[in-house]
Amino acid sequence: MNLKKYLTLTRAGIIESLQFRLSAVVMVIGNILYLIIVYFLWKAIYASSGTDVVNGMTFTDTLIYLVLATALYGFLEMYFVWEIGRNIQSGKIVLDLLKPMEYRRYLFWSYSGTFVTHFFFTFLPTFIIVAVFTHGAIHMGINLLFFIISVVLAVSINYSIDFIVGTICLFTESIWGINMMKQVIVLLLSGATIPLAFFPDKLREIVYCLPFQSIYNAPLSLLLDANPQPETLTKVFGMQIFWSLIIWAISKLFWKVSIRQITVNGG
Amino acid sequence: MKKNTLGFYFRIYFKILAQDIKSKMSYRADFIISTIGMIFTNIAGFISFWILFRNFPSINGWTYYEMLFLYGFSLVSITPVQCFFDNNWSLRMYVYSGDFIKYCFRPINLFFYYQSEVFDIKGLGQLAFGIGTIVYSWNKIGLPCTPLMILKIVVFLITASLIMIAMQNAAAAACFWIQNSFYILDFAFKFKDYAKYPITIFSPVFRFIFTFIMPVAFIAYYPSLVILRPDEVPLLSWLSPVIGCIFFWLSYKLWMFGAMKYSGTGS
Repeated sequence: MNLKKYLTLTRAGIIESLQFRLSAVVMVIGNILYLIIVYFLWKAIYASSGTDVVNGMTFTDTLIYLVLATALYGFLEMYFVWEIGRNIQSGKIVLDLLKPMEYRRYLFWSYSGTFVTHFFFTFLPTFIIVAVFTHGAIHMGINLLFFIISVVLAVSINYSIDFIVGTICLFTESIWGINMMKQVIVLLLSGATIPLAFFPDKLREIVYCLPFQSIYNAPLSLLLDANPQPETLTKVFGMQIFWSLIIWAISKLFWKVSIRQITVNGG
Repeated sequence: MKKNTLGFYFRIYFKILAQDIKSKMSYRADFIISTIGMIFTNIAGFISFWILFRNFPSINGWTYYEMLFLYGFSLVSITPVQCFFDNNWSLRMYVYSGDFIKYCFRPINLFFYYQSEVFDIKGLGQLAFGIGTIVYSWNKIGLPCTPLMILKIVVFLITASLIMIAMQNAAAAACFWIQNSFYILDFAFKFKDYAKYPITIFSPVFRFIFTFIMPVAFIAYYPSLVILRPDEVPLLSWLSPVIGCIFFWLSYKLWMFGAMKYSGTGS
């Protein structure tokens, strides 16, 4: 595989995303505000529950989980669906399809630069701040390695889901509604808004059978687990690998079938 | 026909509205999917609320149903901004491309004409959802259902909605000075998510910020106190209708100031 052509796209992406500094500042302020709300809300919840541990999670655990979920969201949500939808509506997709690279790959690699900048400018600072403020509540050991591997798998699953949803736009020519539904489902069922440990038992069992929990819940629970058992590891990674393969195959197949139907208005 | 009377503006509004609905109906699939997307968002918001608070009889002295009332109140009071002021989201595009100049040549109020061009029907689902939530929690709390109470809640709902409208107007008007103001608008739009919690859960510093600097507490918390805690209504609650009107007027002035300054792009 010739990696050079992909890395060129990554580089271009990094340069492009560094252009929007004001938006980054506003985004960081927005995130901080959100985290303040999360902090006080959960503090009130734990204060009125009367115990230190609710559903097996302490206040610090919950806070780390939710803060890092937000940070992960900041770099997992790449607005691919919007991009695909806009490309379809404007007709630019024709030019991308003609490129000597598979569209699926081209789109991913042209956004990979944004992954890199977001990782260094939002995720890493948040992670360090959380680690410092919680006084070592995040165990620094092998779990970090598991976390990183898990995040890579999560990126792959998330991208495939986005690509499937983007492909649906080929048929509906509607972006807003489709994207809204995807976002709501993924955020709720992946544990990004409320840790899955707080879900009622029946609902949690269902959610564990769906691919979404592999995106946020899997990496975050691996990170919080200081002494992971081999069974847990195989289970979590097994689930993630299983879903990333399945959804990758579906997204590829669905795109292949759909691309024959494409109608482009101008371009 | 006499101009500048309320009746005149009403007639014009419905004429423009009819055109907008006709044009939306020509993209039927998009319309239906967007509506479903909106319903999804409301259901997901409700489910997360339920998951979060079902385990706890009260948070910080607020019972489950009182929290639910606040949630419903915030849903209803952000509906007008969704329905009537949705065109604010497109403002930066019009300003950027130069199309905004067309609004400057109409012989009626510029702000009125611009905002009346789009009516977002999706917001009506949210309205129904919000009213349902209010009625349900009203019953459960056992509040009396007198004409005075109904009058109070209607007046306070309307004036509370002015705060959210004012913040969106002001945020949208930012595009007259800076490009790519999407992030500011999106930032202000997220305030709605913070409005649904009682402000007493925050520390005094943030209570001050959310009351006087970013007036999110006026979207649901202060006005709801008039209904929920009629014995101990703080002065700020009684002032909230006035504050709503003042903020709306200020945002209108700011918006118009930006629009008057607008000099087109030369196209």
